[in-house]
Amino acid sequence: MLETGLILRALARNKIGAMLIALQIALTMAIMVNAIFMIQDRQQQMKRASGLDEANTFYLTNTIFGQDYNIISHLQTDLNMIRNTPGVVDAIQINAVPLSGSGWSMALQHQPGEDQDAVGSAIYMVDEHALNSLGLELIAGTNFSQADVEIRKDGQSTWPAKTIITKAFAENLYPDDWQSAIGKTVYISQNQPLQIIGVIKAMQAPWNGWNGVERSMLVPFHREAKGGYYFIRTEPGQRDALMPIIEKALAESDKERIIRRVTTVEETRKRSYQQQNATNKILMTVVITLTLITGFGIVGLAIFSINRRTKQIGTRRALGATKGQIMRYFMMENFLISCVGILIGSVGAVALNMWLVNSFNLSPISFELVAFGVVALFIVGQLAVLYPARKAALIPPATATRTI
Amino acid sequence: MLVMKNINKIFQTADIQTHALRDFCLQVNEGDFVSVTGPSGSGKTTFLNIAGLLETFTNGEFLLDGEEVGQLNDDGRSRMRNQKIGFIFQGFNLIPDLNLYDNVDVPLRYRGFNAKERKRRIEESLERVGLASRMKHLPSQLSGGQQQRVAIARALATSPRFLLADEPTGNLDSEMAQGVMTLLEEINQQGTTIIMVTHDAQLAQRAKRTIQVKDGRVSELEKVTPIMNQAIA
Amino acid sequence: MFNYYLRLAWISILRHWGLSLLMVCAIGLGIGAAMTTITVNYLMSANPIPEKSEQLYYVQLDSWDINNPFNDGLSPPDQMTFTDSTNLMRAQKAFRQNVQAQAFGVIEPENPDMLPLIVNGRANSADFFTMFNVPFIYGSGWSRASDDSKEFVVVLSKETNEKLFGGEDSVGKSIKLEGNMFRVVGVIDNWQPKPRFYDITTGAFNDSEDIFVPFHLIVDEKISRSGNTNCWKPTGDGFQAFLASECIWTQFWVELKTEQDKEDYLQFLNAYVQEQKQFGRFQRPIDNRLSNVMQWLESQEVVADDAQMMMAMSFMFLIVCLLNTVGLLLAKFLGKAPEIGLRQALGASKRTLFSQYIIESACIGILGGILGLVLAYLGLQGIEILYGDSMKDLATLDSKMATLAVLLALFSTILAGLYPTWRACNIQPAQQLKSQ
Repeated sequence: MLETGLILRALARNKIGAMLIALQIALTMAIMVNAIFMIQDRQQQMKRASGLDEANTFYLTNTIFGQDYNIISHLQTDLNMIRNTPGVVDAIQINAVPLSGSGWSMALQHQPGEDQDAVGSAIYMVDEHALNSLGLELIAGTNFSQADVEIRKDGQSTWPAKTIITKAFAENLYPDDWQSAIGKTVYISQNQPLQIIGVIKAMQAPWNGWNGVERSMLVPFHREAKGGYYFIRTEPGQRDALMPIIEKALAESDKERIIRRVTTVEETRKRSYQQQNATNKILMTVVITLTLITGFGIVGLAIFSINRRTKQIGTRRALGATKGQIMRYFMMENFLISCVGILIGSVGAVALNMWLVNSFNLSPISFELVAFGVVALFIVGQLAVLYPARKAALIPPATATRTI
Repeated sequence: MLVMKNINKIFQTADIQTHALRDFCLQVNEGDFVSVTGPSGSGKTTFLNIAGLLETFTNGEFLLDGEEVGQLNDDGRSRMRNQKIGFIFQGFNLIPDLNLYDNVDVPLRYRGFNAKERKRRIEESLERVGLASRMKHLPSQLSGGQQQRVAIARALATSPRFLLADEPTGNLDSEMAQGVMTLLEEINQQGTTIIMVTHDAQLAQRAKRTIQVKDGRVSELEKVTPIMNQAIA
Repeated sequence: MFNYYLRLAWISILRHWGLSLLMVCAIGLGIGAAMTTITVNYLMSANPIPEKSEQLYYVQLDSWDINNPFNDGLSPPDQMTFTDSTNLMRAQKAFRQNVQAQAFGVIEPENPDMLPLIVNGRANSADFFTMFNVPFIYGSGWSRASDDSKEFVVVLSKETNEKLFGGEDSVGKSIKLEGNMFRVVGVIDNWQPKPRFYDITTGAFNDSEDIFVPFHLIVDEKISRSGNTNCWKPTGDGFQAFLASECIWTQFWVELKTEQDKEDYLQFLNAYVQEQKQFGRFQRPIDNRLSNVMQWLESQEVVADDAQMMMAMSFMFLIVCLLNTVGLLLAKFLGKAPEIGLRQALGASKRTLFSQYIIESACIGILGGILGLVLAYLGLQGIEILYGDSMKDLATLDSKMATLAVLLALFSTILAGLYPTWRACNIQPAQQLKSQ
């Protein structure tokens, strides 16, 4: 039995009520689809690997305030002490930490000169222990040797001769064949040559929102500076126990500096993506409440319209409609209203997305997501109308002969 | 043919049992025109609801067109209502959102006729009640008498064996009521069995047979002579 | 009469409590969401110094690379080279001027039991305090003379003074900062402008600094510089070479009293850049800008994209809730058709019926508004928890916002009630009385 025509004609007599539901469905769909899209977008961002052994690493800041302080000799002592602590895999001095939000960047170019195009990259100043300490995977070329490591004074403008870069950076510099990067000379600071000796699988820049976040380079430097990080990798499971031990050992070995901000990389990741996480939770709440409001709105309106049509439904029953047919009538009615709503909603979802793309640099929405929204809202509508429709089906046919 | 034997209908509420029908017995033959009268609360409406399969009964035997009604489930009763019974209600019970054509269409849809068949039946039955020219109108645009004619057209459209009328003229003035009665008589002459509940003694007299319901039981009334009828009036 | 309508509304709300609850919840949620995001946006885009935001100007000069414009050529660099800020400072062409940069250092307390303190600092000119109306509990900022004679003076935040001196008047006392003795000249009262307009390069909603010292201390390497540094040209070795470089890391503010002063200052800047071109600097076309506080905050887009997007979403959310309410009110009022017909028959005019139903809508609106206020409060708490420090002080409801919430709820519910009420008032009494 297809009553579509009859239902449509009955709806046409109550256009406003039906349009209100349809518009609600449309807006809900537009918002839902875009919110889910933004959630997915952020989730993808958060899923990107930093390249580090995140579970077993931590770092701390070392701020020197003592005057006439021999930074380099203390650095050696500190690193030896940390590296020899049982449970520690390796440790380095570093100038910045991935995802931490603050760091250094430099640009590399293929040819020397002022007017050459250069590609920006995060720069990490480390020694030959870096790969082991950070948990990086060298996929081509070689590591630095101890002899490569130079001392860098504050304000120094010259750079070492060698560098190790990430695969993403190599692909950017040599789009045809990233492996050809090994052994090539590039230029830093416009005209200083730098030889690429190795490529690592991944290491993110300190800034998670930067579009070049996968581009990083390592240079062999020990910094003679008053502030810096020690970055430490431990045996699995030992990190939390070792954090206070190393902090205490460093603080007590030397009173002319402050050890602060002992932080795990996991914590850094969490902080780095705190905003994304928060926004996602809010968007999720919006999607859920919105769906509930629309769902309950449909329930409320359906119950009300069924209450008003009690006699009519009784009459239909008297004229031979089965319970199933009555239920189907209301399900069908909802389906037809949903169709209009979802049609408008699909257009609305794309329009809203276009606006978001223009105003907030979002990427365009995928067809699958719109399809998902279509299915989801049909289900929401049908579920919402299920209870009222059952209520309608239970109206006794004898209602028809009642004179009220 | 409709046969009721010792039908009982008991309404059960928390502490009160109401016997709406008591050992109700009735036989209505093919082609009959029976009017049912009785004071309010006598069980008229309960009888009609049970006869029309709108309500179930507590016990007893009820055969409609040879079929044992007590055995039917809800869907079965719906089907039987749709196929064998036509209803006319006091309040017309037209669907206000649908035009006349669509109103008459309602039971035909449940019957599952194809579009062509439905169209033929709708036009034919509206023709029969003299409203074919107004099939695109909405019920609210018609007078009460016209609305009731639409309801009759709706009842006739499925070609039912039985027509059950519940105070069909209750909401109409006497002139309109006469018109509706005349229409019912015509329908009866063409072979449809009619059972009509009414409290109007004068209208009841126009049926071939009159029964009275009192305290849930039946008592058959003799046809009153026209002279006495006038004396009462 | 008003009381009668109110009573009728109340009876009606209770009679259909399920429907009423649904409407109140829908409006409450819509208002709650809208108010939460409006509050965040309102606080983010607040004017942090309304009394003189029109007279304070941030100075931008386009000293960048001729081959590769700053920010894709959309705007000149957001900071200034040391060379330029020093020159502008020396020229003293504005009513007040301030060069500043972020700094940090370690304070060693006199009490050997106390641990050394790492502090965030700001190195700035004497005019900073008067320009930005900084409130003091003790003392004041240093004088221009102190800048000129390169004195070692410091202004402490209330919190730092608390830590070092237990909150007592420390003016005239000394602290040891980065190995040098500094004389305390003032202690600032609570002062957390939001946004922290005077320096938004490292985050517009950071707290103000722990200590303030004269800018010359950075130049003389008595305190370390922090904050953003951007270079387009290689620099030479050593700090002096860095200072002379084209790297940008200083910020320059001026206070100009009148529009004429602003014109004059812009002329001066253009002349200055023209002059510098002779030395081979400023190879790009002249693009000098003076932005007052609100213009500056707007151009740097301090209101987070997320906040704006959320606000847009929450308004759509509110619309859904209102559509919901329109539908439910319509159903409810039309369901009362017989009653309306009867009232009309008994002498109610359209106007009285209109008042009755609008008052009923308004009652639901007020209830929704109150619920919305509670939800907005919870929502803001939630935002503060979820976003952490970055949202501190940006998620508080003031009385202005609370009033706005209830008014918005009232207004939008009445708006939602208009159509259903109009429909209800146009019910034909005759039809209603006849058919039943």
